[in-house]
Amino acid sequence: MNQPKHQNCLPPAFSRWLLLAVVLLGMAVTPVLAQTQKITGKVFDETGHPVNGATVREKGGKRGAATDAEGKFSLVVKPGAVLVVTGVGLESQEIPIGSQSSLDIHMKGKSTALNEVVVTALGIRREKSQLTYSTQQVKGEALAATKETGVLNALAGKVSGVQITSSSGQPGASSRIVIRGSSSLLGNNEALIVLDGVPINNAQNGNAGGVATNTAVGGTSRLSDIDPATIESINVLKGSAASALYGSNAARGVVLITTKSGSFAKKPQVSINSQYSFENPIYPEMQTKYSLGDLLNGVRTYYDGDVMKTSAVWGLDIDSLVKQGIVKYNRNPMKAFFTTGRSYTNTLTVGGGSERSSYFFSYSNLDQTGTVPTTTFKRNALFAKFSNRITDQVSTTLQLGYTLSNNHSTPEGYDLTDPLWTIYTAPATWNPLPYLDSAGNQRVFRPGRNNAYWALYNVYNNSKTSRIIPVLTINYKPTTWLTFTERAGADTYSQQADYYEAPSSALTTVGTITQMSVNYRQFNHDLIGQVQQQFGDFNGSFLLGNNINTEYNQTHQLTGTGTSIIGFDNVTNGSTIVGKEFYTRRRKLGFYGQVNLEYKKFLNLSLTGRYDGSSVLSTKKNFYPYGSASAGFIFSELLKVPAISFGKLRVSYSSVGNDNVTPYSLSTPFTLAAGFPYGGNSGFLQSTTLGNPNLINETTKESEVGLEMNFLHNRIGFEASYFYRHHENLLTQNVPIAPSTGYNSTTLNAADMTNKGVEVLLNISPFKGKDLGWDVTLNYTRIRNNVTKINGNTQQLQIGQTWAFVGKPYGVFYNYGYARDSATHQILIDDGGLPKVSSNNVVIGNLQPDFLAGINNSFYYKNWTLAFFFDYRKGGEILNSDDRYGYFYGTPKVTGNRQDRIVPGILASTKEPNTKPVSAEAYYQRLNMIYEAAMQDGTYLKLRTASIGYKLSPAVMSKTPFSAASLTLTGRNLFIYAPHFTGSDPEVSSYGTSNGAEGTYGNTVPTSRSFNLTLNMVFK
Amino acid sequence: MKKIILYTGALVLFAVAGCKKFVDINQDPNNPTSVQEKILLAPIEVNIANSIAAGGEATAATYVNHFMQMICYNQIALNYGTYYFVNTNMNASWSAVYATCLNNLKILRQESTADGNSNYTAISEILTAYTLAFTSDLWGDIPYSQALEGAGNFAPTYDKQEVIYDTVLALLDKGVADIDKKAGQKPGADDYYYSGDMSKWRKLAYSLKARYYMHLTKAPGHTAAAQADLALAALQNGFTGTADEWKFVYPGSSTSQNIWYVNMQALSTLVASTAIVDTLKTRNDPRLPFLIAPSKNTGLYTGRAIGSPSVGVYQDYSLLGAAYCSVGSTEYLMPYTEVQFIQAEANFIKSGAGAAQPFYTAGITTHMSKLGVDGGRITTYLASRGTLTDANGLEQIMQEKVIADFLSPENYNDWRRTGFPRLTIVPNAQAPAIPRRLIYPQSEINANPQPQQSATLVDRVWWDAQ
Repeated sequence: MNQPKHQNCLPPAFSRWLLLAVVLLGMAVTPVLAQTQKITGKVFDETGHPVNGATVREKGGKRGAATDAEGKFSLVVKPGAVLVVTGVGLESQEIPIGSQSSLDIHMKGKSTALNEVVVTALGIRREKSQLTYSTQQVKGEALAATKETGVLNALAGKVSGVQITSSSGQPGASSRIVIRGSSSLLGNNEALIVLDGVPINNAQNGNAGGVATNTAVGGTSRLSDIDPATIESINVLKGSAASALYGSNAARGVVLITTKSGSFAKKPQVSINSQYSFENPIYPEMQTKYSLGDLLNGVRTYYDGDVMKTSAVWGLDIDSLVKQGIVKYNRNPMKAFFTTGRSYTNTLTVGGGSERSSYFFSYSNLDQTGTVPTTTFKRNALFAKFSNRITDQVSTTLQLGYTLSNNHSTPEGYDLTDPLWTIYTAPATWNPLPYLDSAGNQRVFRPGRNNAYWALYNVYNNSKTSRIIPVLTINYKPTTWLTFTERAGADTYSQQADYYEAPSSALTTVGTITQMSVNYRQFNHDLIGQVQQQFGDFNGSFLLGNNINTEYNQTHQLTGTGTSIIGFDNVTNGSTIVGKEFYTRRRKLGFYGQVNLEYKKFLNLSLTGRYDGSSVLSTKKNFYPYGSASAGFIFSELLKVPAISFGKLRVSYSSVGNDNVTPYSLSTPFTLAAGFPYGGNSGFLQSTTLGNPNLINETTKESEVGLEMNFLHNRIGFEASYFYRHHENLLTQNVPIAPSTGYNSTTLNAADMTNKGVEVLLNISPFKGKDLGWDVTLNYTRIRNNVTKINGNTQQLQIGQTWAFVGKPYGVFYNYGYARDSATHQILIDDGGLPKVSSNNVVIGNLQPDFLAGINNSFYYKNWTLAFFFDYRKGGEILNSDDRYGYFYGTPKVTGNRQDRIVPGILASTKEPNTKPVSAEAYYQRLNMIYEAAMQDGTYLKLRTASIGYKLSPAVMSKTPFSAASLTLTGRNLFIYAPHFTGSDPEVSSYGTSNGAEGTYGNTVPTSRSFNLTLNMVFK
Repeated sequence: MKKIILYTGALVLFAVAGCKKFVDINQDPNNPTSVQEKILLAPIEVNIANSIAAGGEATAATYVNHFMQMICYNQIALNYGTYYFVNTNMNASWSAVYATCLNNLKILRQESTADGNSNYTAISEILTAYTLAFTSDLWGDIPYSQALEGAGNFAPTYDKQEVIYDTVLALLDKGVADIDKKAGQKPGADDYYYSGDMSKWRKLAYSLKARYYMHLTKAPGHTAAAQADLALAALQNGFTGTADEWKFVYPGSSTSQNIWYVNMQALSTLVASTAIVDTLKTRNDPRLPFLIAPSKNTGLYTGRAIGSPSVGVYQDYSLLGAAYCSVGSTEYLMPYTEVQFIQAEANFIKSGAGAAQPFYTAGITTHMSKLGVDGGRITTYLASRGTLTDANGLEQIMQEKVIADFLSPENYNDWRRTGFPRLTIVPNAQAPAIPRRLIYPQSEINANPQPQQSATLVDRVWWDAQ
């Protein structure tokens, strides 16, 4: 174990206590009371539900308390006092107290969704109505209803301001989550994930081939180790005012996951959830009319693929070849290759508790096979949580999650070994099976690529990830107004990743095996002191805390190349074996404070401040302060208009520092030279990345205003936010510099970027009856990103598949386009009648969408439920790389039109309109060079989920051992309408979740249409 | 109370100091901060062989072999073979030149000078000279005097080619002087080229001087005769046999394959060009089976014509032959034959065909013998080529030099200097003429704009005067 070492210095834990003690000493003036009595009680609304966040105070006095989630309060008052009870949406009441020490208070009016308690930064529960910033909560049931195996995909389309992009339809494939737009050019742009107050890792990994060959992509987002069935709710903190307390990483937004708990004083409840689903791929649009073949000495010729090989599917009409008996095999290669994917998920949960303790257990087993044969994802997840009220002052919660995830996947993307290359560009007229000839060599229809079926069994990634996430929370509440919280959590996983690539006769590769072992550990520790006090009409809370976060990543990698024993997947098979080791450490230390002041429950002011130290920044300037100020005004409390059940205006401003840079970016070491050891010699060269010892934190400044209103007894709810974010001094890692400096890149506090956007959430309940109800939820997001500076005078910077340009939104496609007339913008045609390729790279598109929207409709009628969720994206371009390559090969559907054509445009030589006809092959093979021709608008409308469910009635259940049972049928992606996109799904970014991967669709496992049947049973 | 404040204050100070220490852990455990000379030299030598003098598909050494019509893509017409280039195509080579080679050569030179290991200093000077000349020959004006300063200068201006050439020759002289100091450590196995035989390094320095003198035969302010004299004088101390030549023997293991072998696999679709295959066939050159491989499908020697509009059957074409393009083939960075042909050309310039003839004959014979052509066939071939005349001498010397220097980027310099071997512009050319230089890389244009960067493929470098 790598515990923090302290040499000749005070342990930070001590310094933390010290600081807190000093501050608390200064402020704690314990009131001395002569004659008092303690009152405890519960507040209920008219439906009998406990009211959270109602205020109970002594009339004419200074003391008051707020009710907790169970409606409970406790207060010390003078004998004979009168209690004033107020709450949002409730009529206030005055209750004289006699001698009683406990009482139940029933209020008129209904506690609303706005009284809902949400989890905010540091796991602090607060009433949503009192928040001064934007958050959006998604309930566990809503996540479960998507039937996604991964949490990120389950969130897709549900939360405004959030964009989730999946990388592939392969089991366990990674997804990218970006909140309120890209905030870094080359650094991490993904949201921070926090589980019950403890940050957890969501790296994309598991593909060992990526490190060894730099070609394999993707992997699994580690958040998929979390079983969605254990999630009570997810709250998304979008703005930095909301997340500032979480420290540096939170500038990118936070996904707060709250897991399920048992209930106190409840008998054990056992439930079983059993799911079966099957899925079939949604194929890209391909032509199957023409055979393998090409022009041969001017004659269009059928190639059989065995004697005559070619990559061209520019042959002859298949039907007539079949009629003539020349072609005997004719099968759509995609339909032959892909299969029906299946998954089984079984979950058992037990929850309950005694008066002083509660427990929750969950075990689930997921067993998924993909639509690509051989691919699987298996997850066994065990989760347990115990809560104890040790004394009236001390309560603890201990939880432990253990997950074992196993993934077997096939390489995707621009990887020449990839089986999908020769599926999407294969002819229908060649039988790829058997994949070996009688001599044991791989059969191929074209040189330079593998047989897809051979690749399935001879090129693959395996990963096994064993992950443990323990969290211990101790609450100590010595008095009613003071709480200490101590939370210690860890996220540790070990991973064995294995990439196997047999020697390929088609690619003349020598065979590679990479064995990678990753040990990841993150320790997080918070100590928080909180004071809550009512002063007359003011309710104040004050918080001070300290955070220590340490992260360790240890990777050992063995790469064997030149394998000779067929099918022996062990690194000793390599004729050259090279070992590598990487070890990185990152430590962060933070001190933070927050002041919340509430006035009569309608005016709120919140201030936060944090002082962070990070190990990755300049040793001279690695501590930096930041903070936020925000206010909320519940104007409906003053308006008292009956139609307006709730109205709040909120404003916030925040400035958050971030250390978005990997460790060891300050120095310029010597690194192992490529290909070394070489011929028995060791070799190191100066790193081509220049270290920068002067790196300081980057800063995100954000202004936000929001309006939240509910109308007609909360039948209509509306929440809108506008934000403006300015990201400054962006830590830009590997920013290219002129090679003549001796280095290719360096890390700088260089770029600036802005994001402004609008988020809207609308809830409508047109009907709400006992037997019939209808709820509509609509969300809308529109974000405008602008890169305002890259580095000095640098105007453009390659991110990966896309670029950043000053003055343009993040994610510019910059590649070959059509050559155009500078005056008229018409396409220039060369003397051969073909469009000319631009003489240099040009801007040909941008991946940023115009807006995102989702609409969910759910109905219930007696025991039936029906729900459907549509998801819409307007705009956002994508490079359809499969089409681009396919233009060359003659495989996309458009290439099925093989008539000669006159390409519209003007001749470059004469500026006269083009009149020269060209063949379809010549035309499309030219388009292959013009990336602009493969840019497609990614607009889509998806019926992401549709479900119908039936719940057995209590009358029926009374004769069974079950208290409840339901059956639900869910369809996913039943309908995808993408009018301009010819691939499987425009929402996919095939090369993984990194910044550089964004924007390209190519050789990816298609998105699937699936059906899921879920049986849920709760034992009595 | 005062005491409490004092103690508290002291504790806070200690705590702050503790915090500082707690985050002070940013020392990279994965990579060393300094390495000895031999650890640097080995990868520098591999990189010069594998990414400068020859390189991957998208590197300068491969581009010039398209220009020299040695190789051809089995692709539609727009490609490197038809001079279709954008600035980003040059990034890889500049990165190899500056970030991988020159920067580490600079470090090697500084370190060895400080350590008194003058043999390493000499090697770093000779290899720096070579790398600079290689780069300047292709790009003309290039950064050097202000370059390699890291954060010290993010925008080095470019030196004139004339100045680079002075630097190159001075570095070679300095290299010889440092060898003659005979001080400090000698390289061993880390020196793949000469295994630390400094006498051979000395001969290389002189042979390279001769090469670079000859590059200036038509440079402004220089005369061919004077350059020929300088070259011949330098060669007094140059290579004396094939044992001296500068070569890199690829170990040929799974991680050390010959780079031309790697390039000529099915993935790239690169095959032999009609121009070279037909030239060898027409002359009945017995080196054909060594330099060119027969087609897999037909067993014939068939090149592909650069600029052909449509794709052919890959396996119908010839690839390059085993002598230069097998997994463990040796790469010649300066073969002895180059010295022999320099002598032939210099003598031709000074004294005419008769003086050149013996060196010309020796060059062909040396190359053929090295390949393993039997003596009888050598004699037949030499006879078929006839005797050099003052009219055809230069052309024939260059025709043979390009074969003996097979795949060497040096051939492109010779073509630009002499116009031989004669090349015709390919069909579907994307430039108005056969390129006379390379364009500047996008990486420089983006981060270090300089006036020279507007150059096009058909502009000429300084020494390539018309």
